[in-house]
Amino acid sequence: MLWTDKYRPQSLEEVVGNKKEIKIIQEWVESWKSGNPQEPLLLVGPPGIGKTTLALIIAKEFSEYIELNASDKRSQDVIKSTIGESSSSRSLFGDEYKLIIFDEVDGIHGTNDRGGVKAIGEIIKNSHHPMILIANDFYSKRLASIKTKCTVLKMKKSRWNSISALLKKIAQNENVEADPKALKEIALKSQGDVRSAINTLQALSDKDDSLEIKDVENITTKDDRSTIINGVTAVLKSKTPSKVKKALIVEEEPTLVMEYITENIPREYKKPDEIKKAYENIAKADLYFGRAQSSRNYGYWRYATDFMGIGVSSSKHETYKKFTKITSPTIFTLMGRNRGKRNLRDKIAEKMSLKMHISNSIAISMFPYLEIMFKDDELAWEISDFLELEDDEIKRFRKKKIPKKVITKMEKQKAQMRVEERDRRAEELKNQMVNVVPDIRDDNVQEEVVEEFDDVVDEDIEEKEDNKKTDKQVSLFSF
Amino acid sequence: MSGPWVEKYRPQKLEDIVGQKQIVTRLEKYVGEESMPNLMFTGPAGVGKTTTALALVKSILGEYWRQNFLELNASDARGIETVRNNIKNFCRLKPVGAPFRIIFLDEVDNMTKDAQHALRREMEMYTKTASFILSCNYSSKIIDPIQSRCAIFRFAPIKGEEIAERLKFICETEGFDADEKGLETIVYFAEGDMRKAVNVLQAAASEGETIDENSVYEVVSKAKPQDIGNMINKALMGDFMGARTILRETMVLQGTSGEDMVTQIYQDVSKRVLDGKMDASIYMNLIEAIAECDFRIREGANPRIQLEALLTQFL
Repeated sequence: MLWTDKYRPQSLEEVVGNKKEIKIIQEWVESWKSGNPQEPLLLVGPPGIGKTTLALIIAKEFSEYIELNASDKRSQDVIKSTIGESSSSRSLFGDEYKLIIFDEVDGIHGTNDRGGVKAIGEIIKNSHHPMILIANDFYSKRLASIKTKCTVLKMKKSRWNSISALLKKIAQNENVEADPKALKEIALKSQGDVRSAINTLQALSDKDDSLEIKDVENITTKDDRSTIINGVTAVLKSKTPSKVKKALIVEEEPTLVMEYITENIPREYKKPDEIKKAYENIAKADLYFGRAQSSRNYGYWRYATDFMGIGVSSSKHETYKKFTKITSPTIFTLMGRNRGKRNLRDKIAEKMSLKMHISNSIAISMFPYLEIMFKDDELAWEISDFLELEDDEIKRFRKKKIPKKVITKMEKQKAQMRVEERDRRAEELKNQMVNVVPDIRDDNVQEEVVEEFDDVVDEDIEEKEDNKKTDKQVSLFSF
Repeated sequence: MSGPWVEKYRPQKLEDIVGQKQIVTRLEKYVGEESMPNLMFTGPAGVGKTTTALALVKSILGEYWRQNFLELNASDARGIETVRNNIKNFCRLKPVGAPFRIIFLDEVDNMTKDAQHALRREMEMYTKTASFILSCNYSSKIIDPIQSRCAIFRFAPIKGEEIAERLKFICETEGFDADEKGLETIVYFAEGDMRKAVNVLQAAASEGETIDENSVYEVVSKAKPQDIGNMINKALMGDFMGARTILRETMVLQGTSGEDMVTQIYQDVSKRVLDGKMDASIYMNLIEAIAECDFRIREGANPRIQLEALLTQFL
């Protein structure tokens, strides 16, 4: 049995550290139990300090609990089907609350779990049940919208002396003769991660029942994950595969890391053949990210990581002896700066797709032709009228406003055409009546009339409403 | 008078559809039988997939087609959940005044595999009340279970003379003069894509009374992204950063798609070799890189990254 499970605290009192936060949690639990619903709790802090443990202890206070964590596929569906329903429906016995525990919320992968964050947001909104969310990185973008809806508790790392004390208790219980110095060393090297400290203790104690300082000397400090900048720097500045590979173990989305490397290749590498080779590797990395996503086989990521890491790093002849500042991907700033323009573009495309039965991307591909057509005042009015474009949307295609004179003229023309259309239809209806009355049913004529109506419906739904009215009027007149 | 010609001159009846005769004949049988299986229309852009679907829907559902028809964009940014909710709400109701209901989903090949599996379940759930018409560019991107549930119709690019004939008809109706050479040029650029042909025609017509070779060329050159030549020049001269900036701005600001960029780059490079400004061996190396880039983009890689990599081949 794992000691981390065996010695997992069973009550709030046994939890190491974070006394202030625990007090808040106790009050939170009490409020729920006295029938007073509270905001969800968001526990944020580094790994291994007992966030999940805390949640499991709290779970005991409620009749039932549901847990979801990063290993679950968190598409909206999964979230909704497993906890969506139970979150808004309560059992008949009103006082029975189910606790919802959502572990590693910031681990929801951007594209893989499309809508995952949104779904959580919705569940928070609709939930009548207590809810605890757990995350590592307080500054994660994915937490931004969730944070505002929760009571945030920042959980701190445990001090080495309290970890050391805990280790001592465990060692005694397991009949391990442990040198206090060795325990102190383990506690220090764990960097506040209780779980890794207990794991280390168990691993070292397995061999025999004593633990001395020399046993501990060989263990390395717990892996501290590198930052994205360190990773990119290693790729561009180093030629040592082991160094590059290690530096790329970064807690970021791998495609973001790729964007960073890509951005900085031509800033660091200066020889064309180096840039070429490096980019060939990037293109292959991208290819495997794409394949991973479309096949849902994320095992391909390891190849992609090697292409963008070792592949790019080995594309240079020698390391450059200069200082290059790592630049963040300009494509994001470019996209951000032009958000307004892109929103406008998408708004127009949306209108086109509704009126013209085309996808947004096809609509956008038509823009250049529309720009040409919009030079003509009358055609510009016609198309804007057809698509129901607003002034700012018209401005996307032509700088000058459509002259007032043209607008008045075209509106008149349109009204005129409506009148003519109405008259024509009235005439048709009269003919139809004549045909029907003597009971000479001519199928062809009937069909034609029906299709004429279809065409009108096609042009404009509003118009259809208008016509219905006029049709009634006409029939009144004819009888 | 009524806006874009692509919409105004969209054929409304099955018999008016340009090209695709065999497909139309088979679809007319469904109309006669008043029933149809799930259909999949596959083929390049602008060959009449949506037009055929709309015409079929009108004939087979009859007078009340509007009430019994749902058109959805499958690649909708809002995701599969929206699509499914729409389908669910639509299928809950029984068909009124028609034998069954029809759901038309555009660009199914842009859906993720997961979304396609979800769609498959929807298709199974409502077999009694509704039929699906799915449309896509590449049927290879559609999961097998969906393909096996559909009768697949492959739409070929529309023949040049058929496009020319349609363009002539539009010109006559609208009262424009178009000379043979002008129409020929449009047909050449359209590459079997009727939507593109009609757009070029209307754009050319908006610029002057007559449509000839020159006016068509002018439209085509105005309508394509302006800086492609400039971008390639920069890359050829070794200014990769400069070329990359142009590429990014063109894609972000003008919204040019990856596939369009590849076509433009291909055309630009082709012109250089035709004008004797580029070595045949250099040209062939570039063609290999362009072809690979094209293939990867269609396979689902990130178009911008692949195009940036392509640009390095010009260094």
